Amino acid sequence: MNRTIRMALTKGRIEKGAVALLEAAGYGCAGLRDKGRRLIVPTDGGEIDVVFAKAADVITYVETGACDIGIVGKDTILENGSSFYEMADLGIGRCRMVLAAPKGSDFFSGYAARRVASKYPKIAADYFSRKQLDVGIIKIEGSVELGPVLGLTDAIVDLVETGKTLAENGLEVVETVCEVSTRLIVNIASLKLRKTEIEEIVGRLNAAKEAGA
Amino acid sequence: MKQYNKITPEGTKDRLFGECEKRGGFVRSLRALFESRGFREVSTPVLEYYDVFDTARAYFPQEGIYKLVDHDGRILVLRPDCTIPIARLIGARLKNERGPLRIFYHQKIYRHASGHSGLSGEIAQMGVEFVGGDLPICDVEIVELACRSLRSVCGSDYQLELCHIGYFNALVDSLNTDPATREQIRELVEHKNFPALDLLLERFEGCPAQKALKKLPALFGSVSVLEEARALFSNEAADRALDALADLYNALSSLGLDHLSLDLGLVNQADYYTGIIFRGYTAGAGEPVLSGGRYDELIGEFGPARPATGFGINLDLLCERAEGTAAVPPPRAAVLVDAKSPVTEAFSLVERLCSQRFAAELIPVRDTRDAPAPEGFDRVFRVVDGAVKEG
Repeated sequence: MNRTIRMALTKGRIEKGAVALLEAAGYGCAGLRDKGRRLIVPTDGGEIDVVFAKAADVITYVETGACDIGIVGKDTILENGSSFYEMADLGIGRCRMVLAAPKGSDFFSGYAARRVASKYPKIAADYFSRKQLDVGIIKIEGSVELGPVLGLTDAIVDLVETGKTLAENGLEVVETVCEVSTRLIVNIASLKLRKTEIEEIVGRLNAAKEAGA
Repeated sequence: MKQYNKITPEGTKDRLFGECEKRGGFVRSLRALFESRGFREVSTPVLEYYDVFDTARAYFPQEGIYKLVDHDGRILVLRPDCTIPIARLIGARLKNERGPLRIFYHQKIYRHASGHSGLSGEIAQMGVEFVGGDLPICDVEIVELACRSLRSVCGSDYQLELCHIGYFNALVDSLNTDPATREQIRELVEHKNFPALDLLLERFEGCPAQKALKKLPALFGSVSVLEEARALFSNEAADRALDALADLYNALSSLGLDHLSLDLGLVNQADYYTGIIFRGYTAGAGEPVLSGGRYDELIGEFGPARPATGFGINLDLLCERAEGTAAVPPPRAAVLVDAKSPVTEAFSLVERLCSQRFAAELIPVRDTRDAPAPEGFDRVFRVVDGAVKEG
C-alpha cells in the first residue's frame, strides 16, 4: 500500500492563500487552519498529508522525494534550483523581485564598484551577470533595507509587495528583476510512479485557480 | 586551527559492513547478468583531463565538477560521468575494433554536492555500453537489459520510462528558432514548467508545432500518448521517432516485459542523446535510479564515429532504497588462541572450518583454558597447548 501523498507547504506569507486554494479545490482544510504546533496535518478527507516547512526546505523535501508535491514561491525556486517539475503557477502570493536604491540616486551611473544587499544572493548575482555588471553582493538575513540606510551598500535586491517598506526607508524601485508568484512543484519520480493521484491534485488546484481568477 | 581529521568531506560517507554487503549483493547479481550477455568490464581513471568533458557533445556543466591542476598546469577533473570517458577510451584505444563492443563498468563518479543538501557527491555507478549497433534490435537489447537489471535488484517494484529525442527535435526544428530559445524550450519541457512554456511559445502562434510543444510535458504515461503525439504534430522526422518508439514498446511487450511507460517530454541532455532515451524509477527514491539512451555522435568526438547506446545505474540510491536480497552470511566460528597455541594446529583448524563453509576467525586471548566464550559465534573452539577442544 502506497503512503498518502505528501505536500510540503511554505509557512508564512504563502500559507493563507495556499490553504484557501486547497479549500476551493475541495480539500477540507479545517485541520490545516487549526494546526496548532503540529508539523504534519492531513486534509480533512485524508487525501493529502500537508507538511509545513520553511520555503527553502520545501525545495529540499521535494527534490529528495521526502515529499511528493511542494507549494513554494518562485523566488525560492530561483534561489535554490533545481531538479523537480514546476507544474503550475498557482497565481497566489504575487509580488516582484526588484532592484531598489535610495531615492534620487542613479544606480547605473559612474564607474565605481557597487555593493548590493540581498536575501537572495543567487538571484542578485544572476541578474547582474545578465546585465554584465560587476557588483559585490552582501547576504543579509533580516531587513535588507538597512543596507543602504546604514551606508553598507548602494542598493538592495528584494521582494516587494506594496512598496511601502521601501518608501518609508527612502528607497525607490530602480528596475524589476523578475515577477514572483507561488508555484506547484512535483518530485520527478513521484510524478511517474503516482501519475493519477498527482495529476488529480494538480488538476483540481489549477481548476480552483481558474475559478477564482 | 580547525581539525578535519575525524570526518569525511561533505557529500561523502563511510560505509560499514551491512551496507557494503548489500551493495556487494547487487553488484554480484548485476555483474553476472551483464557477463551472461557477453559484456566485458573496463575501468577508466578517476582523474581525467577537463578537456574530455568540454567537447560539443560531451559538454558537462563545469559548476558540478571537482577540479585539480597537475604539475604542468593542466586542469584535471574527478570524473563526473562514466560514459564520456568510455567514449574517449573507445574512440582512442579501441578505434580499430570493428565489431560490436559490449562493455560494462562499475566505478564511482564525483559531483559537487552543494551546501548540505543531503545529496551525494560520490556516487557508485554500474552500467553498460553497447557500441557498433544501430539496428532497432540493439535498442531492444539494451532496454531489455535495463529492465532485467532493475528486476534483479528491485523485484517488481520498478518502472521503466521510454522517450525518443527525435520527436522533440522535430518539433523545435520546425520552429526555425535560435539556439538560445531552443535551449530555453528544452529546459522548460524537461521541468514540465507549463506556465512558463506557454508564455515562451506565445510568439510562435500559428506554427503547427506550437500546440504540440505546449502539450509535450503532459505527454507521459501509457502507450496511448504516442497516438496523441501523432495527432498533435506529424512530419517525417516526428513520425520516424514515434514509429521507433512504438516498435520498441511493442518489442519489449512481446518479450513479456511490463512496468513500461512513456514520457515524450524526457529531454535531458539533448545534445548527448540522439535517439531512444530511458529512465528507471523505484518507489522511495526521489531521483531516477537508472538512466540511459542512444548516443550515436558522442564517440565521434574522440575518434571514428560509432553508434552506441547504454545505461548507468545509481548503486547508492538503489542500496538506500531497494529492499535487496543480501546473501545469507555464513555461520561464524571462533578459534581461541593464546601465546602457547602452535601455529600449525590453529591454521589447520581454520582451514578445516573454512572447507565446511564457516567464516573462521582467530580470537587472541591471554589463556585459552579459562577465557570466556566470545559472543556472536555459532561454534567456539580452543587450541589448548597442542590440542583442539570445542566449547
